[in-house]
Amino acid sequence: MNGPALTTAPGAILTAGDRAHHRIAWISTVDHKRIGILYLLTGLFFFVVGGVEALFIRLQLAVPNNTLLRPDTYNQLFTMHGTTMIFLVAMPLLFGLANYILPLQIGARDMAFPRLNAFSFWMVPLGGILLHFSMLDGGAPAVGWFAYAPLSETPYSSQPGVDYWALALLVLGIGSVGTSINIIVTVLCLRAPGMTLRRLPLYTWINFVNSFLVIIALPVLNAGLAMLLIDRRLHAHFFLPSGGGSPIMWQHIFWAFGHPEVYILALPAFGIVSEIIPVFSRKPIFGYEFVAGSTVAIAILSFGVWGHHMFTVGLGHTMDLFFAAASLLIAIPTGVKVLNWSTTLVGGRIRLSTAMLFCLAFLVHFLCGGLTGVTHAVVPLDWQTKNSYYLVAHFHFVAVGAIVFAILAGVYYWFPKISGRMLSERIGKWTFWLMVIGFNLTFIVQHFLGLAGMPRRVYTYPDLPGWGWMNMISTIGAFFMAAAALLLVWNLLVTLWRGPAAGNNPWNAWTLEWASTSPPPHENFHELPPIHSRRPLWDDANPDHPDPVVGGDEVVSPVTEKCKVGILAFIASESAFFGVLILAFLYFNATPGSGPGPKDLNLVKTGMFSLCLFASSFTLWRTEISQQRNHRRAMLGWLGATILLGGIFIVGQGLEYGGLLRGGVNISTNLFATTFFTLTGFHGLHVCLGLVALLVVLGLALAGDLDAGRSVVLEVVGLYWHFVDVVWVLVFTVVYIFPLLR
Amino acid sequence: MPIPLGVWDIDPGTHLQLSADDEHRVASRDLGHGIMNYLSPTFHPASPEAGAISHLFVVTLVVCAIIFALVVGLIFYSLMRFRWQEGKSEPKQLAGNKTIEIVWTVIPLFIVAMLFAMTARTMGLSDPPPAPNPDLVMVGHQWWWEAKYPQSGVKTANEIHIPVGKAISVELQSADVLHEFWVPELARKMTTVPGHPNHIWLQADKAGTYLGVCSEFCGTQHAWMRFLVVAEDASSFDRWQRHQSAPSLPVVDGAAARGLAIFKQMTCASCHAIGGTGMEARIGPDLTHFASRKQIGAGAVENTPENLRRWLTNPQDVKPGVQMPNFKFRADQLSDLVAYFGTLK
Amino acid sequence: MTTEQFLISGWTWNPLLLVASVAALAGSRLAFRQAGRFRYFAASVGVILLALISPLHTLANGYLFSAHMAQHILLLLVAPALALLGLPASFSVSRLFRFLTYPIVGWISGVGAMWFWHVPSLCSAAAISPTMFTVQTISLLSLGSAFWWQVLAPREEHRLPPLAAIVYLFTACTACSALGIIITFAPAGVCPIFMQPVDRLGILPMLREDWGMTMPRDQQIGGLLMWVPMCLIYVTAILAQLTRWYAVPAPALAEKGR
Repeated sequence: MNGPALTTAPGAILTAGDRAHHRIAWISTVDHKRIGILYLLTGLFFFVVGGVEALFIRLQLAVPNNTLLRPDTYNQLFTMHGTTMIFLVAMPLLFGLANYILPLQIGARDMAFPRLNAFSFWMVPLGGILLHFSMLDGGAPAVGWFAYAPLSETPYSSQPGVDYWALALLVLGIGSVGTSINIIVTVLCLRAPGMTLRRLPLYTWINFVNSFLVIIALPVLNAGLAMLLIDRRLHAHFFLPSGGGSPIMWQHIFWAFGHPEVYILALPAFGIVSEIIPVFSRKPIFGYEFVAGSTVAIAILSFGVWGHHMFTVGLGHTMDLFFAAASLLIAIPTGVKVLNWSTTLVGGRIRLSTAMLFCLAFLVHFLCGGLTGVTHAVVPLDWQTKNSYYLVAHFHFVAVGAIVFAILAGVYYWFPKISGRMLSERIGKWTFWLMVIGFNLTFIVQHFLGLAGMPRRVYTYPDLPGWGWMNMISTIGAFFMAAAALLLVWNLLVTLWRGPAAGNNPWNAWTLEWASTSPPPHENFHELPPIHSRRPLWDDANPDHPDPVVGGDEVVSPVTEKCKVGILAFIASESAFFGVLILAFLYFNATPGSGPGPKDLNLVKTGMFSLCLFASSFTLWRTEISQQRNHRRAMLGWLGATILLGGIFIVGQGLEYGGLLRGGVNISTNLFATTFFTLTGFHGLHVCLGLVALLVVLGLALAGDLDAGRSVVLEVVGLYWHFVDVVWVLVFTVVYIFPLLR
Repeated sequence: MPIPLGVWDIDPGTHLQLSADDEHRVASRDLGHGIMNYLSPTFHPASPEAGAISHLFVVTLVVCAIIFALVVGLIFYSLMRFRWQEGKSEPKQLAGNKTIEIVWTVIPLFIVAMLFAMTARTMGLSDPPPAPNPDLVMVGHQWWWEAKYPQSGVKTANEIHIPVGKAISVELQSADVLHEFWVPELARKMTTVPGHPNHIWLQADKAGTYLGVCSEFCGTQHAWMRFLVVAEDASSFDRWQRHQSAPSLPVVDGAAARGLAIFKQMTCASCHAIGGTGMEARIGPDLTHFASRKQIGAGAVENTPENLRRWLTNPQDVKPGVQMPNFKFRADQLSDLVAYFGTLK
Repeated sequence: MTTEQFLISGWTWNPLLLVASVAALAGSRLAFRQAGRFRYFAASVGVILLALISPLHTLANGYLFSAHMAQHILLLLVAPALALLGLPASFSVSRLFRFLTYPIVGWISGVGAMWFWHVPSLCSAAAISPTMFTVQTISLLSLGSAFWWQVLAPREEHRLPPLAAIVYLFTACTACSALGIIITFAPAGVCPIFMQPVDRLGILPMLREDWGMTMPRDQQIGGLLMWVPMCLIYVTAILAQLTRWYAVPAPALAEKGR
């Protein structure tokens, strides 16, 4: 434990004295284990909130023509239920587990950026508060968790509920991107000696791959939310047909995020199961390489299948078919995973602990949900079942039957590590059976309701033959699940109070987290076993027949430039954000509309100011060269020139904006103005942020801090600045040059 | 409670009462095929288009069931066969098998290719290209369906009639937000998108009343945005169409005439049209032949004088959130209005 | 003309191309003497012939944008990849073309060839002018080779390390998908020449009516071909890189990815 530990900034670690201040310590903590626990507790809290919402939904639907809830209340409930369960329950729980377990699994001392980690976590309560604050300001949003335009636009949802919803999701999205950058950098830069990428435990590998999905998918949603907010607050026209906008565009953007999001939730669940099934089968996972590789295939393909959420909006058969092909294809790597998990059982010594039971239920439920997913990829079937209770049943089989069950398995599996105490297996099995029975009661019957023609999101329904009793069964099932959840909480509390001690490795598992104490010490490990394979503790316990060595034993030391890796990941994420804005600009300006257009822009003037921005990249490059050569004065000069040039560019943008605004053109004038101000505005904002960063660097340079081993700051800010310039090359081409070619 | 399918009888004072006991009788007589298969209309299609989908559904479900049975079988076999016992040694540490992996990648690839081919074929069968001119234009409103027959000029709401055995080309529009047109027994579902007209074919091979819904969440009263598709033989359909395209009967005096006067005076006319009276507003449903329709409030209640009176007393009570405000009519006004609506057969 | 008649008569028997193919096949058979690799090389020649003499070429030649796109993908991505797989390990690039073996050059070649030839005027020019078409074909084949060199060079030491190759392929995939998305959603006329095809063969009614290839649909298919199937080629290559990564025991490879 030399290299990785040293890379953590010394200021980020609490001293023993600090730790004594428990109350403050939990709020100001930057320790990945505490942050992980905070994530888990927040997720559990919102799980109760979302669960109670679900119970009210089921109570209202228990009998036909029910009047327990008013329609608007019901609509708010299902919107909040969906949003809460996805963004405030599943994501925090999965991130919490990853936060706690992932650094332990790779023998790291903490996450790469502990303070970023704390920031990311605190975004969750902030987002949760924002979302629920809407209740005090005119009512919660009532537009469904995907907030289809134009219902989510001001003319049809005039209360600020949707604004709070969008803001909350933006905040949560930023937090998620932060966590994922942290995971990527942690895995790339902080692995223990011997823990090569090819030896990563599957849980870590899958979370690593998943993080790429997050940093690319979440910004797509953020861009969409920004557009929606601009529409709502500034009367722009992105998604309002009355102003020439396109409601279908919102669906494209939302599902370009939304489908990867399904996998963002599912992949970590796959990771959990891939850890637990082998341990309780006493065998390694069957086909590690295939489980790991299929994860990559799923991650990439997941970006090409969003159209299957839109088979009924009239995209045309051509587009439907291509999306159907991609959606059917993604079933293959997913199927490979299911088969590998199932085959891991064969020839093992299966021990039915509660964690394992949850995994087995996961397998069966996920298989079922996956297969009904295939029926949604087959376009004509989707034309019947989309937006019916069949769909509700399908995604709850994936979201609850698979993902929540996997999380519960993870909780039962890792709770001893986190708390040092063993959960009661007896209560655990009660929880499991109540949960399985309740879940299947609730959701199996919903398939039939859907086929019987019951649409989703109706607050009540007529008394048609069969509908009443099927809904009643579903409601009864929901209460079984609620009972199971209560038992779970009881089990957690009782165990914390007087559970038996767990010991380091109660399950005889093989990954590194079990090499530490339970709970692990603040610095995670006193000593690490040698790592030559994917199961170091197996090798330790079975020195006579260890696993075959994976890859070379000689280890190239992990990358230590974590700041650079971090900023590259951030740039990837920003690229996705700008990618959406640029594509939206191209789409909305494909045919010239009436009113102000590119002809009203001052090409020559803006061109000159653009040259300043491009020149600033050159001067910044010179700054870095001077820094490397220790030419302090030259460095300061070039840096000052960079800031000056950037500032001139911003002034130029101000002049362009001023000219347009004086001419009566503002963001709500027409689609061109909407897209123009949004795209260039966000770019301008990034330039301003870059300027602030450069000014900070200048301050550090003047204080002489850059020479004191902090020159990486200059490199990092430099990368970001160059990125902002490259974006402007694209924006300038698209906004100013393309119209000339037409 | 029976399905709200009441109709105005000859006299608005009496109407056909449906009770749970009558359900069977109604099913066979009035609604024909539709109601018999409420449990799974998806699998009891009444048109070639829905039939093609249903057929593919069965094939796909069989394929899925086989896969499900095989994998779950494997899991349960393992659970039976390979259990942990205290003190037993660790099993053989098998890490994988490349051949098996390739086999179970390639076989699904074939299955998926087969499903894709069937998908492409069924898409053509269940959703042929649109006709140049629609026979019927359906416009989704918050929260009711406007139906227009361009050829005959009929304008009605929430209840459409079609001739049995003839494919009807339907254009789908929206006046506000997204809605979705879905009659499970007859056709695919399709979203109505403002500014982006969509199209489907609607056909019923058997006479009967089929239930339709809005399946895309569209706001407060999404639940009560239902409609009826009445498939009848060609001559009945022609009769219906002729009747519907005629203006309303003039009312001379009595309660009905007073009702008309109230209707005009209380600004009802700024939203509703009634043929033959000069009232042309298209914001709410066309009421020219209101009494011939089976339901009020897009399926919220059956169309009986009592329910109409309840509706007029306070629409927000019957269908909370509906766009129609509470006019706070006096009791005598209500009676006059109900009498007037009774004439709009 | 019916579809069958067209499939029979729509071939372009380009003598120069056929002679060159036979010569290339014979030459490679004699020169390389490795049956396994020769199969790839023969497949590559087959793909080139499919793209340039089959009815696909006739359609791409001013009739259908989607056919043009299919041809483009075959020439840029499929044929060069197979050709590189068919090269013997002894093959080396002459000093003159060494600059082509830098990863950034390879990436820009592959992605640039896609974007460059879809500038509306160039796309149209290549579809009508035989000279421009020849230039396009040669450039696609050579730029495609430069692109794949990073991944499929005959010798291991010339290839990118697996994880770097995955980043290389994924970013290229994204860049091409972006263009595919733009074309799919753009109003018809990305490549204006396909808006008013000159119906030399009298097959336009067949295409428009029997095949249902209206102009907007044609362009949409073209865009989607670039978006989805092309992406699948990259995904396949990425999975192949993962296989390579997990298979190769060399420790030096393990960490170079970043």
